[in-house]
Amino acid sequence: MNVLKVSRWTIAAFVLPCLIFYAGLVFVPVLVSVYSSLLDWNGIGESRFVGIDNYIRLFTADPVFWPSVRRTLVLAVLSMGLQLPFALFVAILLNRFIRRPNFLVSSYFLPVILSVVIIGQLWKTIYNPTSLGGMLNQLLTAIGAGDLTRAWLTDPDVAIYAIYFVALWQYIGYHVLIQFTGIRNIPADIYEAARIDGAEGLKADRYITLPLIVPIFKISMVLAFIGSLQSFDLIMVMTGGGPAHATDVISTHMYNMSFLSMKYGYGSAIAVFLVGLCLVATLAINFLFGKLDKRYS
Amino acid sequence: MRKSKWLGLAMAGIVAVGLTACGGGSGSGGEGGGQAAKGGAEPKQENITITFQNIYPDQTDPKYKMLRTIVDNYEKEHPNIKIELDSLNTDQQKLKLKTQAASKEVPDITVVNPAAQMQPFVDAKLFAPLNDMVEQNGLKDTFQEGILDYYTFDGNLYALPDGNNIALVYYNKKLFEQAGVEVPTTFEEMIEVVKKLKDAGIQPMAIGEKDTWTGSFLFMNILLRTNGGPGFLQDVLDGKKTFEDPAFIEAVDAFQNLIQAGAFQEGATSFDYNAGENLFKTGQAAMYFMGSWATGGIETSSANENGNVGVFKFPTVNGKGDVNEFMLAPGSAFAISADSKHLEETKDFLNYYMLNYPKEAFKLKGAVGLAQKVEGDFRAAGYSDMAMEVLAMFEDVKGGDLAFDNTMNPGTAQAHLSSIQNLFVQKTDASAVAKEHQTAYEQNK
Repeated sequence: MNVLKVSRWTIAAFVLPCLIFYAGLVFVPVLVSVYSSLLDWNGIGESRFVGIDNYIRLFTADPVFWPSVRRTLVLAVLSMGLQLPFALFVAILLNRFIRRPNFLVSSYFLPVILSVVIIGQLWKTIYNPTSLGGMLNQLLTAIGAGDLTRAWLTDPDVAIYAIYFVALWQYIGYHVLIQFTGIRNIPADIYEAARIDGAEGLKADRYITLPLIVPIFKISMVLAFIGSLQSFDLIMVMTGGGPAHATDVISTHMYNMSFLSMKYGYGSAIAVFLVGLCLVATLAINFLFGKLDKRYS
Repeated sequence: MRKSKWLGLAMAGIVAVGLTACGGGSGSGGEGGGQAAKGGAEPKQENITITFQNIYPDQTDPKYKMLRTIVDNYEKEHPNIKIELDSLNTDQQKLKLKTQAASKEVPDITVVNPAAQMQPFVDAKLFAPLNDMVEQNGLKDTFQEGILDYYTFDGNLYALPDGNNIALVYYNKKLFEQAGVEVPTTFEEMIEVVKKLKDAGIQPMAIGEKDTWTGSFLFMNILLRTNGGPGFLQDVLDGKKTFEDPAFIEAVDAFQNLIQAGAFQEGATSFDYNAGENLFKTGQAAMYFMGSWATGGIETSSANENGNVGVFKFPTVNGKGDVNEFMLAPGSAFAISADSKHLEETKDFLNYYMLNYPKEAFKLKGAVGLAQKVEGDFRAAGYSDMAMEVLAMFEDVKGGDLAFDNTMNPGTAQAHLSSIQNLFVQKTDASAVAKEHQTAYEQNK
């Protein structure tokens, strides 16, 4: 550590404020949540210690919980299975065929910097029923697929997919940017050496880009997974979890329980579950990629 | 490297000071001028700031102006007192108050909803009793009889309401004429009216069902009829009835008939309260079921040009019930924090505020649906025909029920709200709906 030639105390003095902040804003609240999840508490008045009752009810008797977990995981799987490969594909194409890709990359990135509320309102209007001039439905009617028109956000069978689509669409540019940068950072001499060996074009991508992008792809994976687990704002704006819980995910269910039903302890139990899920998932992804890394190096 | 080490430490010090400065910023809001009088022959009065959380952030609402007028007058009379307004919209205020309550930092004056909704706050002893204050200056006698009961727990009054409303149906006369239909006097006629309006290409009813309470409010009015009178939920709470009672099932069926007849706009569950109401206000829907608080906004809307909007009482269902029993909506109410640093001054201000409230509201044509008696000739003051009709309806009130979430605890209420919202998107067996309610009620007891 002494390459910097400063004493340990100086290092500590600089690290400490950040550490205190991080602990105070992350670890303490998590621990407090764990404690409140053991209470029967409405968030205001007296609380009663009930042990793991909240968890028992959450896992066995809550008709909304497991479906909302399933919806959350489906979003995560779609995000990792469709969104990321597509983003990688776009990034490779950009790198290979576009001479000045910066404009395109910025364009793809645009939805990411827009406020989720704006995105939500925008797509709500697009998804509106025909009677209110919804663009998607008009488009479907115009191309002769009138049978497919529906009230996208209020039909409980399709509403959640309509939301998935927006969530995936919004963050594609984000992952394109990450992976495009990753590809750019692969040294050009590797490609040159490969060309001499006869690997060109997409073949070079298959044998050079893909293995070398793995660490970057891992970052995208973790971000996509955690982002999906925490998705909240978009759903709140577009449907509020309705109609009748059909679009509830873990975080909206937690919000409803804590603040609308005023079961703060129960809401905390959901929060703890969510934290645990994020942790386990991150470890699992790291483990899988660790194996993948070994295979290629 | 000596120099840089000291530099480093100095910088770390600056960072630390900066951080403490950030951390200490909050918490001093309520105290204003802590320093007492500075000697002198005439001891000056202490400067006081009272925080007044309210739900009137909308500048087009008469209440916005009314609130500021009264506060300005009071500050002129009491130069040492400053009233600090914290204006939020309803949902934000509810959430903020819950957070503040959790950390026991309730503002001097805040806003709560009646009965079951304010119970948790009262149980946590967050509010100061107002029994003595309401007797001062004859304030108690300005309130309508019985209205304060909704804010009284164990003989202690904890909040003073700003309104008292009833539910009714607004209708667009021109659209009714176009479809050739009359005002319905029974629920069955109402469904016929819906069908005829629909055949004429007119949207029969508007609702903002994303804010689930709207549909529940209408459903509860049907239940008030099928139950043959008020008190169904109270009977459930007292253990005399369950949600699987025939009256409840009949109400679910009637409600579904209305939905299945196509009464509500497509995608109703994605319309929030304002978007739903706007359909009616802009003349795009023929009927609108809502509390009388909507009168002011509808009065000035484009749908009401030339007195085009009329009102009628919610009809009887299957010949049951009495049209003079209404869904009652005692308004949001002002409560005072038990931990207020200036309890006496705050009480004095709220007393002044409530005494002047009806007078100022009357002047601004916002006096329909107040919880207090209003002196003055509404007609002469230029209130519209519709407002007069609504006022006349108040005279006919023979009792009624409170909204579901004002009667049941929040857990049961949420289950009820989403169960009713579900009826808008899929037809469900009424007995299953009843069972769902009963289970939720038992789980949340």
